[in-house]
Amino acid sequence: MTSYRYGRPALRSSVDVQLQSAFSEGNWNAVVRLAAKRAATFKDPYYEAIKMCAESQLDGTAEKCGVLVAIDELMQNKKVPDLDIIELYEWACRDFLGYEIEYAETLGPLRVRWAKANATSPLALQCMQACLEKWDLVSAQQIATTLDKTHANSTDRRYLFWNITLTFLLSISPQCTDASRKVYSLLAVRQLERAADLTENWPDSEPTDRGLRTEEEICLYYRVLLSHGTKEEFISRLQSPNLGAIRQLKKGHKLLFCEGLKALESWGEWDCIYSICREALTRGIEGETTPFFVCDLQVWKKFAVAASKAADPDNALIEVQTLLKQYIEIKDKASEMHRKNLSLALLETTFRLPVTTLDPDHNSTGLSPRVVQLGLYLDQYFERLAAFDDIKYYITELSFEEIKTFMQAVMPRIVDENSDKSRKIVLKVLECKLRYLLTTCPQTLSPQPSVANGEVQDGPFQCRLCNKPASLPCRCCLKMVISSASELYQQIACDSKLSDAIPRLDKDPRLDLALVIGISLLKLAGLKPQTSDTGPSIWKDIDPGLFLQGVLVLDVQLKVSPRDNELRLLLVQLYLLLGCASYAYQLWIPLDVKRTIQDALSPIFFDRISNISPGLFQGTRSFMEPLRAYYNNTLRDACPLRIWDAFSSGSYTSILDMVEYDSDLRRSCTMMMALVEERRAIRCFGGRIECEIEAHPLTANITESTILVNKTDYGSFPNFESINGPPLHEFLRLGPGLSNERSHLAFLSEQYLDLLAYKPPKEYKPSKANEAALRDREYTIEVLSRLSESLADLLHKPETPSRLNSGETSYYTIVSLLSAALLTAISTSRNDPPPRESLSLVTSSIKTAFATLRGTLPLSNPVENPRMPQACYAFADIQTLSWVRDAALAIRHSAGFVLAIHDKELARDRSGRSGLHRDVLAEMRALYEISGKALGEVKSTVQRLKEALAEGGWLDRLLDLVFGGEDQEEEDEVRKAVGEMVGGRAGAEEWAGKVIESWREGMKGWGMVRME
Amino acid sequence: MANFRRFRPDDLNKLSKCNLDPFTETYELGFYLQYYAKWPSLFQVAEDQHGNIIGYIMGKLESSPDVYRFSEHYLPWHAHITAVTVAPEARRLGIGRLLTEQLEAAADANNAWFVDLFVRTTNHKAIAFYKSMGYSIYRVVKDYYGDNLGDPSLPSEDAYDMRKPMKRDVKREHIREDGEKHEVDPSDVW
Repeated sequence: MTSYRYGRPALRSSVDVQLQSAFSEGNWNAVVRLAAKRAATFKDPYYEAIKMCAESQLDGTAEKCGVLVAIDELMQNKKVPDLDIIELYEWACRDFLGYEIEYAETLGPLRVRWAKANATSPLALQCMQACLEKWDLVSAQQIATTLDKTHANSTDRRYLFWNITLTFLLSISPQCTDASRKVYSLLAVRQLERAADLTENWPDSEPTDRGLRTEEEICLYYRVLLSHGTKEEFISRLQSPNLGAIRQLKKGHKLLFCEGLKALESWGEWDCIYSICREALTRGIEGETTPFFVCDLQVWKKFAVAASKAADPDNALIEVQTLLKQYIEIKDKASEMHRKNLSLALLETTFRLPVTTLDPDHNSTGLSPRVVQLGLYLDQYFERLAAFDDIKYYITELSFEEIKTFMQAVMPRIVDENSDKSRKIVLKVLECKLRYLLTTCPQTLSPQPSVANGEVQDGPFQCRLCNKPASLPCRCCLKMVISSASELYQQIACDSKLSDAIPRLDKDPRLDLALVIGISLLKLAGLKPQTSDTGPSIWKDIDPGLFLQGVLVLDVQLKVSPRDNELRLLLVQLYLLLGCASYAYQLWIPLDVKRTIQDALSPIFFDRISNISPGLFQGTRSFMEPLRAYYNNTLRDACPLRIWDAFSSGSYTSILDMVEYDSDLRRSCTMMMALVEERRAIRCFGGRIECEIEAHPLTANITESTILVNKTDYGSFPNFESINGPPLHEFLRLGPGLSNERSHLAFLSEQYLDLLAYKPPKEYKPSKANEAALRDREYTIEVLSRLSESLADLLHKPETPSRLNSGETSYYTIVSLLSAALLTAISTSRNDPPPRESLSLVTSSIKTAFATLRGTLPLSNPVENPRMPQACYAFADIQTLSWVRDAALAIRHSAGFVLAIHDKELARDRSGRSGLHRDVLAEMRALYEISGKALGEVKSTVQRLKEALAEGGWLDRLLDLVFGGEDQEEEDEVRKAVGEMVGGRAGAEEWAGKVIESWREGMKGWGMVRME
Repeated sequence: MANFRRFRPDDLNKLSKCNLDPFTETYELGFYLQYYAKWPSLFQVAEDQHGNIIGYIMGKLESSPDVYRFSEHYLPWHAHITAVTVAPEARRLGIGRLLTEQLEAAADANNAWFVDLFVRTTNHKAIAFYKSMGYSIYRVVKDYYGDNLGDPSLPSEDAYDMRKPMKRDVKREHIREDGEKHEVDPSDVW
């Protein structure tokens, strides 16, 4: 029989042609009729099953559900079922699985029953596959155990390892009961230990033995040991002669070595790391493995760190260096990559050596061995694109004296006077990047008294590089970086020889220079990491002119280097910060983020997008469709994608990794973001939301205790910052990144809004209206109670405030309070004592929180800055506008919900006894009124912003901000440098036009947003 | 700067340095997982010190289905390079070569006759790279690609099927010197 998984099942070949044709054509009425006849004639239950299967395809509910009854009968009957019938039923009830019936409670056990009775049949394996593909681990494990016993003497080793793998998967799965978990864990460990002992004691035994032979089998053992065994056991095996990491390396298998090191590092077993690394690297030198097989940088790094933590670090590190020198002696045989790894390893070991070993005399000239080694490294690699990244962390470890010597004495000597022009430029670009890096290093500052020589000092520190009062970053140094980088930029632009040399270089040096200049300008403007503490509009804390200069420089550079992704990503984030979402989207599209990489990269553009630009959702095709389609297609089935491929290939570690990846993807913060953003946008335009968020197939397994996982990939962002501060992308977001807390708050809030929006179907007319009303109210109270408790718990978690921006904190607080208020309101009947205190306490908190949020509404607090149009503040703070609207609507709908319940009760029970309490109604009416006012304010803000944009002179105003107006004739160095780079005011006009147009598009979208 | 190791699915969250490059195709999740499920030792990555993937190779081991056994286009047990890519910032360090060598070692360990791959006939850089690694043209697959990067006005582009013999092919039976003269249709390529 053809498997149902690939479509309609094929009938047994003994079935006549007429019935076969009707079945394959989907002529279900004919199938029912013919199958009934054949059943009567042949007395074969198979025909009854065909009939049932055909009936399940008809429209009637009774016919559809007949198959469920039939399955139940099979379950009750203790006989071994017919496999063909099971397959027919499985296909027939495919739409009921997970809803009306659970596979693991019905078809799975039926398949187990059949497989146990027919263990030698090849179809028993098909049963295991079917259970696996329905992710019924309990049944799959039972079949695997049966098959393993049956094929114990087979040369097909997979039966044994399928059994073990499934037993292990079950032991870590929520499908396993707590009582059985320990048993399955022990079972998996014991079976593998027995296999491991067999291999340890008889390494060259027969192919039919039940030991560990392949790399996959061995690594499965270690994975299980890591999860269920002891650390001591793991370490002891890792060092054992036949199953140890070194033996595996000799066989050309590196996986165990890598995984072993990772486990040892997590336990802080540095002595063990040291000895394993030493042995692995020694074997490479001695020719027992390919020489550079383990010559990875992380191996050298771990080796060096382990040596520095040894009881005698001096000697241990000397041993590392000795081994390293042996490798360096044969480096001519190595690839360029391994040669570079060796050079970096040399740098690493130098930095891990105690200062006393490196420099016994404590010579403080700054020309320390560390500085010398950095110089030697750059001698070889300064022209490579990754040179800055390679040395960045080492530079930040240097003392100030060392930094000074490195920058002043070592860097200039890396290329000589007669060297090629382009090489000199590349070195100078690297120097610029390093000088920027130093502005983020605290060792470049020294504390200074707040008052010196009777004068109050400008900064809490003095910059040791420029001797000016400073705080981190030093403004004077940033200006110098901008000035020298722009000079270099101009030098390249004016020198045709240099321009011609660019295609031969690893990277266009102008790109790095523009990045340094742009980022320095952003820092100079006062841009801070966008945390929960930062104000809603970036303009309030920064110098708009400098910020816009930074954006302009980077934007102009994108025209020169349109294919550079780090620059493009940076600009996408900057334009989102500026409120230019449609322009950010134009920049985002060419990145072609699609398919598999969407989960990691989409948050960079899509997170909070419905708040800042709902208009983007208005189009012929939903612009989040690819993201939605990705999750729908990838997570459609309960089992991890391609899992059977891994089983059939005997790739046991792949199985475990794929299960873990699948579990993470099903709990993805990006997935939740996609669902929530789309729902918010739909509501903005009064569209119809397909289903309640809790009923969405993608959230089926997400409960309040599920930890949602954020996997956003910021790896392609430029990052010139030192490790002492946050990476650059944290300066550019619209608030804290995706998190478990924020995702759950969004999920719960959507559930709350779903409850308010619920309307029973028109055809729903319960015969016992009173009972139904009572049940509805009980259900509402139950949901509100759960939501209110969960929202409050989440908001009170100590880490939650740092995961939200200020608008989000207000909105989720208001929703949480609303759910509590509604709970009190609905559960207080007219005859109860007045809930005045409890309710008014909550409603006054709602009013206070909402008043605070409304107080931040754009344009409500004009900022005194004659050069900066007030509307500009608002464009960068459009999120607040959105949160005020969303909060107002939540309040309005909540109040409306309560009042509607009261009205319904009055209509149902004319006596008025079942209505809500008077105080409740008064509070709700007050809230309703407040929300109405707030929505009016939002509407008027949108109108005022649209009018402001319709006024003339925007181009000049924006360019004045960047270049200074006529009243600012005195031109500072920085502005001059920017002007030269971008072709002056005229050169910036096109850019300014795009920014303004994007603001207009954004406001056009907001003009369409419904305020009810 | 780089570490070489076997791919693991979590690496798919760290692909931006490679896959934002327009010349690197991003596939559906099932495609990557299929390779990881069936041929994990032929799916290798190079990662930088921050865990970003800066290069990877995906390959498979297979032979033509038995029904083609007597066809002249039948492919015996061999390894195939499906995709190999290196992030722009990590090029010119020999990462592509190292990844390819690792796949070849896995092919030898699995007793493959040869390793093969398809490359656009206009991708001279890649052809030169593979030739330097011992690959030679075995045949030309006419109109293999449904687009033409060199001349977008043309509807298709030919591919070279390039091969490198593995240890098993002692007599060098699976390569030919005049591969450029052997043209086949895409339907002949299994």
